[in-house]
Amino acid sequence: MRRVILNLRIAVRSLYNFKLRTSLAVLGVFLGAFSLIVVSNLSESLAKKTEVEVETLGKNLLIVRSGIVRKVGTQTRLLSEATNLTIADAEAIMDRSPYINEITPAGNRPFPVRYGNITLTSVLAVGTTPNFTEVRNFHVKEGSFFRDEDNKNLERVVVLGSRVSEKLFGDKNPIGEYIYIYRVPCQVIGIMESKGVDISGVDQDNKLFMPLNTYLRRFVNKEFINNIYVQVLREEFISNTKKAIEELLRKRHKIKEGQKDDFTVIDLKDVMALKTQAMSTIAVLGRISSVVSFTIGGLGILSIMILIVNERRVEIGIRRAVGSRKRDIILQFLMEASFISLTGGMVGVVMGFIASVIISKLSELPFTVSPMGFVISFFASVTVGILAGIYPSKRATTIQPVDIIRT
Amino acid sequence: MEVRSDEKKLKLQVKCEKISELRTQHSELLCLMENIKKTYRIGDEDVEALKGINLQIERGEFVAIMGISGSGKTTLMNLIGCLDVPTSGRYILNGKEVSNLSDDELSVVRNELIGFVFQNFYLMPYATVLENVMLPTIYLDRTTNDVEDMAMEVLRMVGLEDRAKFKPKQLSGGQMQRVAIARALINGPELILADEPTGQLDSKTAKEIMDILAKMNESGRNIIVVTHDQNIASYAKRVIRISDGLITDESLN
Repeated sequence: MRRVILNLRIAVRSLYNFKLRTSLAVLGVFLGAFSLIVVSNLSESLAKKTEVEVETLGKNLLIVRSGIVRKVGTQTRLLSEATNLTIADAEAIMDRSPYINEITPAGNRPFPVRYGNITLTSVLAVGTTPNFTEVRNFHVKEGSFFRDEDNKNLERVVVLGSRVSEKLFGDKNPIGEYIYIYRVPCQVIGIMESKGVDISGVDQDNKLFMPLNTYLRRFVNKEFINNIYVQVLREEFISNTKKAIEELLRKRHKIKEGQKDDFTVIDLKDVMALKTQAMSTIAVLGRISSVVSFTIGGLGILSIMILIVNERRVEIGIRRAVGSRKRDIILQFLMEASFISLTGGMVGVVMGFIASVIISKLSELPFTVSPMGFVISFFASVTVGILAGIYPSKRATTIQPVDIIRT
Repeated sequence: MEVRSDEKKLKLQVKCEKISELRTQHSELLCLMENIKKTYRIGDEDVEALKGINLQIERGEFVAIMGISGSGKTTLMNLIGCLDVPTSGRYILNGKEVSNLSDDELSVVRNELIGFVFQNFYLMPYATVLENVMLPTIYLDRTTNDVEDMAMEVLRMVGLEDRAKFKPKQLSGGQMQRVAIARALINGPELILADEPTGQLDSKTAKEIMDILAKMNESGRNIIVVTHDQNIASYAKRVIRISDGLITDESLN
């Protein structure tokens, strides 16, 4: 160890003569480590953000939608409505799969809403069951959500989305007040928490919620529903459950082989993946650029090491004269090369760390540290140094003391 | 049991005999060269630089090897210093045959047994005096604890302990050569081999350097100086003259 330190001390002193050239040589390794750290930290942040976002939509959630849905960019759009998804389907799904925790059927349709002299022409009324709050991870802020009895008795009670409540009542407390939905008076029993725009681009706060049976019997007078929210027990069962539901519904809807489905099962993870795809393209580009940078860095170190070996011919001759073996010389220059490379790499890691803190601050991503990025940067730097050092150190061993003395 | 112990005794006896034989042959000899020849190939021609050198150097000697340039004295020095191997002949250094050693084995011999002092000093310009002196210890197999203390000790011996943190370019020529001597001393070598040690120095400084070497010899170190300068050779106790690849004359001072 003492020898290593002494050797490195001498090496650093000799490198000091080539400050500019050395720093140019390690620029590649610096950039390689820098982009690697930034990219892996950011990818980790994105993954975490995705997870958090999916979680806010409902844990382990599958959405069965009536009709055919196509993903357009980051939004999902309903292409055609079908009229055959029913509560019976929902119950069948629940009975069929052992991996399902809860299901929530829901129907929706826009209605005009009026309170006093304020009329909102189109508010999406959602008829659903009381477990909606839990399955969608969307809770009541004030008052209460409706209960099973309300659903059974077709009670005319509604829970307002926060924006609807704001528009109708302003600062006034709406709980206990009656509003007209279409022409039906309903009592407001709660206000939902504010949730913003969901993944399909629909404002969750511009809705109102009522018992499913109330919605079906008193408002639309139909039997079919639009959505079934399925909460799967555990994350790893999601894709299998999705397949099982598709199979079951095809059978129940008598869809033959080769015919198109009249429903769509959406896995929110897929939707999120689409949303982050743009970012992951950047991540791939970042990784490629870091590989390129490391390669360029290796070439830079190769050339600076050849220069160093030439500049230090006398030193090498003297080292050989005072007893260094060829392998000591090889080891010395490999160590110097990897030391230079590692120094550049570590500076890159530190700068990359700082940059990713700044980026995550600016883009409001959760800041995460990817340990993998550090490990890879470390080993890549050392490896690049060693690979770049092989040829110069071999060259150094051809120098014999008799060549340099008495010149 | 009887038989076995007899066998053991016999083995031991043989071993002892061998050792004592070696001792009587070589123990007082530091260097023994027998019919050493060295041929270089330059282009298509073989050039015989040494044509059969026979040389014995005992322990405690201070020897000067003299010769004009082209006489083969540099080649001889390279061979004595284990920087090169002879084409033929036998060279025993410190009781060990070194004429057929590999490159790596020669390195170890140089590291442990020989300290070099060169005409051009050959210090690393970017390293400090102390680091220059410590250089040979990097390759020492045996682990020594306080190399820095040892380096300071040898620097004290050449009178430069207050220059340890200096860079070579801050020193005079004589001081640089004294640093080189300190470097030659640090591994405790059997032999100090000085190649024109005063070639770059004025006569006053040359005297200082030679006085240091003479003092080292008085304290029991073996010293060989290669030179073409009669004044320098006069410091040695024995002068060996070499001409055209052969030893032509030996004289005691």
